[in-house]
Amino acid sequence: MDMEFLGSELNELSIRPSRGRPGRRRQGNNDDDDNFVSKNLHAERKRRKKLSDRLLTLRSLMNKATIIDDAITYIRELQKTSEDLSEELLEMEASSEDGGKQMEMGADAADEMRECGIKEEVKVTNIDGNKLLIKIVMEKKRGCFTKLIEAMNFLGFELGETNVTTFKGAMLLSSCVLGKFVDALMVEQTEELLIEMIRSMKGSSECANDGSL
Amino acid sequence: MKVFEESGCFDPHSITDCQDLIGLPGATYCPNSLEDSLSLSSYNHHHHHEDVSAAAAVDMEGHQHYLLDNTATTTTTTNNNANAHLIPYLTQELSYDQSNWETFNMVPSSSSPEAAAAAVASGGYTPTPDLLSLFHLPRCSFLPNSSISFETTPGSPSVVYDPLFHLNLPPQPPVFRELLQSLPHGYTVPADDKDAAGVGGLYHDGDNGIIEFTRDISMAGRTKDRDKAGKTTKHFATEKERRVHLNDKFQALKKMVPSPTKIDRASIVEGAINYIKELLRTVRELKILVDKKRCGQDRSKRLKTEDAASAADAGDVGCKPLGDPDQCYNTSLRSSWLQRKSKDSEVDVRIIDDEVTIKLVQRKKINCLLFVSRLLDELQLDLHHVAGGNIGDYYSFLFNTKIYEGSSVYASAIANKLIDVVDRQYAAAPPTSSNSL
Repeated sequence: MDMEFLGSELNELSIRPSRGRPGRRRQGNNDDDDNFVSKNLHAERKRRKKLSDRLLTLRSLMNKATIIDDAITYIRELQKTSEDLSEELLEMEASSEDGGKQMEMGADAADEMRECGIKEEVKVTNIDGNKLLIKIVMEKKRGCFTKLIEAMNFLGFELGETNVTTFKGAMLLSSCVLGKFVDALMVEQTEELLIEMIRSMKGSSECANDGSL
Repeated sequence: MKVFEESGCFDPHSITDCQDLIGLPGATYCPNSLEDSLSLSSYNHHHHHEDVSAAAAVDMEGHQHYLLDNTATTTTTTNNNANAHLIPYLTQELSYDQSNWETFNMVPSSSSPEAAAAAVASGGYTPTPDLLSLFHLPRCSFLPNSSISFETTPGSPSVVYDPLFHLNLPPQPPVFRELLQSLPHGYTVPADDKDAAGVGGLYHDGDNGIIEFTRDISMAGRTKDRDKAGKTTKHFATEKERRVHLNDKFQALKKMVPSPTKIDRASIVEGAINYIKELLRTVRELKILVDKKRCGQDRSKRLKTEDAASAADAGDVGCKPLGDPDQCYNTSLRSSWLQRKSKDSEVDVRIIDDEVTIKLVQRKKINCLLFVSRLLDELQLDLHHVAGGNIGDYYSFLFNTKIYEGSSVYASAIANKLIDVVDRQYAAAPPTSSNSL
């Protein structure tokens, strides 16, 4: 980690000189200029090396307690900095106006889906014993995933392998769940319930997360 | 000054007596006075605090008259010369080799190593209380050598140059110091942390400790103490205090780091290293966010003023501010990475630009998916992809999300909230329930 620091230090040092003499670099076609550049380069390199060597020695001189103390101090400082910055960010957030952009997504999603020919779908299949495979294709909305998971919980399903993919405003949910008492009737009822849910979510720009399930 | 008055050997005026006594091989006088002086010296030590110069100053004042008397005079007693020579040496860096030692020892008569060492001991004997107290060194650290054997003489002189210890001197002197400082306390120091592992054996030797020195000293250099000894600048009264203090610091460091680490020092330091790196990433990320936000705000302000200006003054077209108002020169890619671990859960958050990838592993007990999903909605993260399920005893999920434009959520906020929510739900859920909301 010390080397990282030194590295960054060296980088900083190496960047500055070149910025400071842009003129030389661009003209450096004839020998004279090259000599100047290389002489300066040597001098600069020597200077940098001197500094880094001395820093290394300084590091090596520190005893254990000092190192720990420094670490503690540095951590505190960084924590304070990050807190300050996040507060600043919060303030800026409060005073800025950007609410409009977030809601744009809902309207586009339905259009995209229709354009691609993706159809909504709910399919519940009993695979093995109490295991069900649930496949849902629906319009992607904010909070729809949450609603679906709530529904699963409500139905007493234990989630196994779950996958969600989104594409062109549509969302595909594929989940293998473990039900409690699974029979043909239950499968049918589950399907109907889910279809109903999707229909209720459709049309609204956002799925309200009010736990109404 | 009572310290030195009570013990005959410390009396500067009877130095010749001391010399004779110590010069005898196997002198039994010395160990006794060693203990006396040690008990007195350690008593003195207790009054000294951490600052070297302050303590040295205190000592200087205390023994000032003694030292000054000696240095002021130009008598050629070995005592005075030793003092006078020591003082300039005190202020310089010294390489502690034998020759150096001998040069300021100023023993006129003998040239054999034993006698020299003895003279060293004797020559340093009287002044050592003061000079050693100056550096908070054991008073008669040379005595064991002189009384037993002189095998370790090459190492012994270095005790005086203790402040320079950190310049990679062999660890023997601190071992000496540790041992000698504990001698009068009856070896109550338990070898309860691994620092004392190598030295503990020495401590427990009890009365024979002095004799065991020479054997174990050569070993001591190779123990783990090698890099642990050497808190020279704080000047604790005992080695134990020093260790305790250092341990406290490690504990303090451990507390500052948010993830649970094992108690051993290496893990603590590793955790600290990772945490510092993480903090640096977070700070960098926050800076970028703040800059972007500020840029955006400036832009919107400029647009407003432009509108206002153009509305107010139709004719004046050239009221564009300096530079290109619509371009934010902040093209840095925001990237961040955080990990948070708790007893039953683990969260890994990575952000690149506006994509957030969250990995969650939790011991299987509750359906954490629901709470995570709710939190993601709250944080205005757009779910693009979710994958995961049951793996043995654990739930493991991977979330690919996108940050809605305009939101300035940052990695550590996400990670902290997430682990918090997940932990709370986990803790709140009854242990055997499989249907908990």
